[in-house]
Amino acid sequence: MKKKKPLAAVEPYLWLLPSILLMTIFILFPIFEVFRTSMSEVSKAGLIKGFCGFDNFAKVLRGSTFKLVLKNTLVWTIAVVVLSTVFGFILALVLNNKFRFRKAVRAIVVFPWATSLIIQAGVWKFIIDKDYGALNTLLLKLGLISSPVNWTPTPEAYFAWEIFVGIFVTVPFVTFCVLSGLQSIDNSYYEAATVDGANYWQKLFKITLPLVKSSLTVSTVLNIIYVFNSFPIIWTITKGDPASRTDTLVTYLYKLAFYKGKSGEAAAVSVIGFLILCACASVYMVLSLRKEEED
Amino acid sequence: MKHSRDTKSTLLRVLLYVFVILVVLITLYPYFVMFTTAAKSRAEIYATKGTLLPVHWLWQNFKDIWTLAPLSRYFINSLVVAGGSTLIAIVCGIPAAYALARMKFKGKKIFLGIVIISQMFAPVVLLVGIYKIMSTFGMTDSLVGLVFINAAFNQAFAIWLLRGTFISISPEMEQAATVDGCGKVSALIRILLPVAAPGIVTALIFVFINAWNEYTVALTLISTDVFKPLTVGITIFNGYNMVEWQYLFASSLFATVPVIILFILIEKHLVGGLTSGGVKG
Amino acid sequence: MKRKIALAMVLAMTATMAQPVLAADDKTTLDVIISQYGTQTQAWWSQFEKDFEAENSDIDLNIEIVSWNDLYTKVNTLVANNNAPDILNIDVLADYVADDLLMPATEYASEDLQSKFFPSFWEASTIDDTVYALPILASCRALFYNKDILEEAGATVPTTWAEVQDAAKKIKDKFGDDVYPWGIDMTTDEGQAAFSYYTWNNGGGFVDENGDWALNSDKNVEALNFALGLVNDGYTNSDPANETRYDLQDMFGAGKVAMMIGPNNIPTYLSDGGYDINYDVTTIPANEGCESVAMGVCDRLEVFKDDSAEDQEARTAAITKFFDFFYDDTRYADYMVYEGFLPTTQTAADLLAKEDDTYSSWIDILQSCNFYPATKTEWADVKQGVIEVEQNALLGDDVQTLLDDLQADIAG
Repeated sequence: MKKKKPLAAVEPYLWLLPSILLMTIFILFPIFEVFRTSMSEVSKAGLIKGFCGFDNFAKVLRGSTFKLVLKNTLVWTIAVVVLSTVFGFILALVLNNKFRFRKAVRAIVVFPWATSLIIQAGVWKFIIDKDYGALNTLLLKLGLISSPVNWTPTPEAYFAWEIFVGIFVTVPFVTFCVLSGLQSIDNSYYEAATVDGANYWQKLFKITLPLVKSSLTVSTVLNIIYVFNSFPIIWTITKGDPASRTDTLVTYLYKLAFYKGKSGEAAAVSVIGFLILCACASVYMVLSLRKEEED
Repeated sequence: MKHSRDTKSTLLRVLLYVFVILVVLITLYPYFVMFTTAAKSRAEIYATKGTLLPVHWLWQNFKDIWTLAPLSRYFINSLVVAGGSTLIAIVCGIPAAYALARMKFKGKKIFLGIVIISQMFAPVVLLVGIYKIMSTFGMTDSLVGLVFINAAFNQAFAIWLLRGTFISISPEMEQAATVDGCGKVSALIRILLPVAAPGIVTALIFVFINAWNEYTVALTLISTDVFKPLTVGITIFNGYNMVEWQYLFASSLFATVPVIILFILIEKHLVGGLTSGGVKG
Repeated sequence: MKRKIALAMVLAMTATMAQPVLAADDKTTLDVIISQYGTQTQAWWSQFEKDFEAENSDIDLNIEIVSWNDLYTKVNTLVANNNAPDILNIDVLADYVADDLLMPATEYASEDLQSKFFPSFWEASTIDDTVYALPILASCRALFYNKDILEEAGATVPTTWAEVQDAAKKIKDKFGDDVYPWGIDMTTDEGQAAFSYYTWNNGGGFVDENGDWALNSDKNVEALNFALGLVNDGYTNSDPANETRYDLQDMFGAGKVAMMIGPNNIPTYLSDGGYDINYDVTTIPANEGCESVAMGVCDRLEVFKDDSAEDQEARTAAITKFFDFFYDDTRYADYMVYEGFLPTTQTAADLLAKEDDTYSSWIDILQSCNFYPATKTEWADVKQGVIEVEQNALLGDDVQTLLDDLQADIAG
């Protein structure tokens, strides 16, 4: 990597090389396999039998379940990402203040992130259960309720709880990203603004927001992708039941692939999901990269 | 005037504490449930009249998990996978992020696009392909395979976050150093990296946590019991006949500890790592 | 800290690298996947592996225990990569046979072993006159009821559907919300079992007398409507689409569910969990004029073909040895007791009956059980299909329409 003239043109690519190798081998190849499977006829046991064009896509789109599942996925993604971004941001602002036990509180706040999603989802499933759940026990002991409450009387209620758990585990990540952004803001900006007579809200919108914007956008973009593709929470709590009312694309395709032996259609569902994400991401990329060039 | 401002700030102070206490309580509640449930018998867990705390604390449960499964072996495996993939993800991510932040070249946007695309499929979807590539390399039943997979899956975050951090740091200091006869590599290591510490620490924690908690890929790739990481190993308590909540929760609590310790160790770098004055406005 | 992590890494990586070298000599290697039946499954099979390898030094066994939650994911991935295990313990069968992946059982099961099985179990994995699997174990479903609750409510043990409704009403009147009279499970885990309990006991079922799919028969519609009636009348647990049989078993143990249909190993389950209730077991209630039909479940051991094996003869011989060793009467009977299941061989059953009377009565019931039509190609679709029907019906859709649609979907 020593600097030599003829190397100058390829130099940036050398810096990228390790990263490119890592991702090409271990991710892009498997992604290619998904595309191949989505256009193949696959036996129930999972063997590829031949090319079948867009048959799998047609089968998926024909079913009425797909529309329901797609709607669920959008509700799930938007609700979890928006609410956890807002709440995570507020929490970061609060934690950026000086107060007693700040260090301990900051450590506690990352707990939900530090425990695996399967376990978090498992605990919450256990907590909200009507018959032996911990929440009913707690409220009964506190005297707030007199008989056990059914927290999940409808599929919609289940879905709302799943969204809550999604937010619960996503907030620490947002808080953490914003907090690290806040740390890098030089105090002198605020001092100068205070001298100029700016109030709290002015400082928030004129100084803080623009400066943590980059870490906030990174965390939001990645969150959209992760939440869109999130599997363990819904799978652990409801498996998408009853009758796909709480399914998202990922739990739906998981059932297609591993419970119904329709790997081809499952791959088609994931390609459709991919295209949706791509559309969103390209909008973002165009906007943010253009802005960067203007700067 | 002065007086009312004081009242206002005291009020804000109280609100702040109330908010923080609420957040802490809600966050800790599931852990309280895990802990108390872990010390109950199954009969007590499902009892008609639920109990807040165990009537009989079955500390034995916390001991039993160690004899029911080789937890310490799983623990070391998880440490290897999480530690190894964090190292590789950061070592590969830093030069890439540096090039993306500081150099002009063709295909930059395409590369950034590909980085994002690499994240757009859920791991469950990629299993068959991942297995195929791993068997090509003979890494299906090994921790090395898991290290690479986790490093690759976390490249995107590492690169985007580090690139963002590098961009927010003014290149002047490095340029000065380069003029002083210092190569790009050593300017990066000696000047840029210390300043970018908070970003690096964030990426580090992120990758570590993700790899520590990864489940699906490890489940499919690993078939020998002694190579299983914790997440996969403790499914022994979630079998055909039962969910052994008490064992599952006891071992999960134990699995959370290393991440918390790591976070506490690293948090001070996050707070104080940045030298002032290096931030671009 | 970092140095220690690095050290641990190096150590573990060396261990990883070192492992495959051991298998380089002339041993025959067998990869075996066993599904997890309980917390201690791993322990039993570890011992098995040691004992087997001590006796057969030329065979290297790799036994992996996989939980049922993950079994299909794992196996599907392996099969799709042409890397199926040599021996697999699972419930499904038809999909693998359709792709010609399995060896016929007669090619590896010694004649001695073949003659040990109850004829009905030996034939249970027959597709087109060829047997493709060995039955690893069986279980049998019956009605479990809480004696104290029934007595206190003044209810008699139900044998007909009308009596079920009557008993449920009495229990509900007596205990209100504290006790669910009847446990019902229509989850993705095992909703097909509920379908069987009710349709079989109404003279219906998955197939007609010719063995063709008959999902929307009048008897099936009537049976599902009866089950849903129990839910709608408030006689059951509150959330049948999400509460699994294991939830029900625990609630039964806690005295919150008064009656439920469950497998013969419930007593083991309850005593392991530390539950202390006064319960008994009886036949599954049937509709007026129908005979009670018990439900049997049978899991299988299947052998995958492996064209890449260098020495096919040695491989088959090793597999034969594996099965002879596993189905050895004492060892096999020990495993059945260990996991709380019923044996599929006559010889092991005789051995167990000598020690414990309850075994002989369960094994008698087992002979008259109905089983899922798992050897039919469409079974996976039917299984998921009836579960969806049940869950949609729970949400208020019409059973007849749902079953008509499913039948049209499956039978074309």
